[in-house]
Amino acid sequence: MIVAERKPLAEILGNVRGVGRVLLVGCNTCVAICLAGGEKEVAVTAAQLRLALRSEGLEGCITEGCVERQCEEEFNEELGDAIATHDVVLSMACGVGVQTLAEQFPDAIVYPALNTTFMGRPEERGIWSERCLGCGNCVLDKFGGVCPITRCSKNLLNGPCGGSANGRCEVDPENIPCAWQLVYDRLERIGQLGRLMEVEPPKDWSTSRHGGPRKIVREDMVL
Amino acid sequence: MVASDRMVVLGCDHSAGAALDELAAQGRALPAGVEWVRLPCGGGLDELHILRAFESGAGRVMVLACNDSACRSVQGNRWAEKRVQTARRLLEEAGVPGWRLEFKAVSPTQAMELLPWIEGFAAFEPAAEETSQEGTP
Repeated sequence: MIVAERKPLAEILGNVRGVGRVLLVGCNTCVAICLAGGEKEVAVTAAQLRLALRSEGLEGCITEGCVERQCEEEFNEELGDAIATHDVVLSMACGVGVQTLAEQFPDAIVYPALNTTFMGRPEERGIWSERCLGCGNCVLDKFGGVCPITRCSKNLLNGPCGGSANGRCEVDPENIPCAWQLVYDRLERIGQLGRLMEVEPPKDWSTSRHGGPRKIVREDMVL
Repeated sequence: MVASDRMVVLGCDHSAGAALDELAAQGRALPAGVEWVRLPCGGGLDELHILRAFESGAGRVMVLACNDSACRSVQGNRWAEKRVQTARRLLEEAGVPGWRLEFKAVSPTQAMELLPWIEGFAAFEPAAEETSQEGTP
């Protein structure tokens, strides 16, 4: 899922201070799961904004809303009337949701309230970690299901480097396991250590961001 | 922010609530302006409850939960304390000073201490440097 964090309140306030009516819209999908932009976080942020504006002696009307999936236009249609009657829309979705609102409602002023951070998974309650960089050419089959592009601090496809010690990464030994140790352990466990004898050629990054903004067209689904 | 005299107490019913009931049985009332909200467990506290209390005009909020190892839900008191820490950070971010939110562990037998705690917090005046930062998110 997409993992995000709430922006500092001061930054959000900078975009809504002096604005008459603000529509704060969350998203009940990824950012709700990572506790950044779901219904609850919308309520907390709205309460904080009201308190902050009041403490500055300012008036501000903050309306709370939440849609099921802000990155798909059909879910946002219900927001049409509310957007028309507010001066600013503050989106608590990921960057995709923010841009979907801005494209769908071209006259609306839409600001982000989150910093979209990575594609990852919840490791345990309150902890999320990155798992996929979206490189466009998955190599997980070669590395026992551990992505060295995402999880190795140096994105090495032929690791480990000299900074691996006791299974930890030199970049942050306390918090980052060495991805190549994980690859080795996993391949050993599933009886595929021989895969490590293969030398990976330089990666073709054209399927990633180096090829410009990406788009998928499924001809069988388009009329 | 113009601070209100109103104070909200969010209390776990198993500890603080029992102490409050004991106070009532002794015919002792809470100070004027103190509103008591009973929580089924400290673990049911949410930072949003605290923010809402301030939003609705409370000038200070006190959270009361069980002592360590005394929670019927095992860790409800620890969660309550965590929620208070989170709420204090959120309040300070919004320009409401953290001293306006207080957390205390209480046992059901502490009825005699309960009233002085509440009265003390209701009357508490912070040092000048703390009040000077109010309203600057």
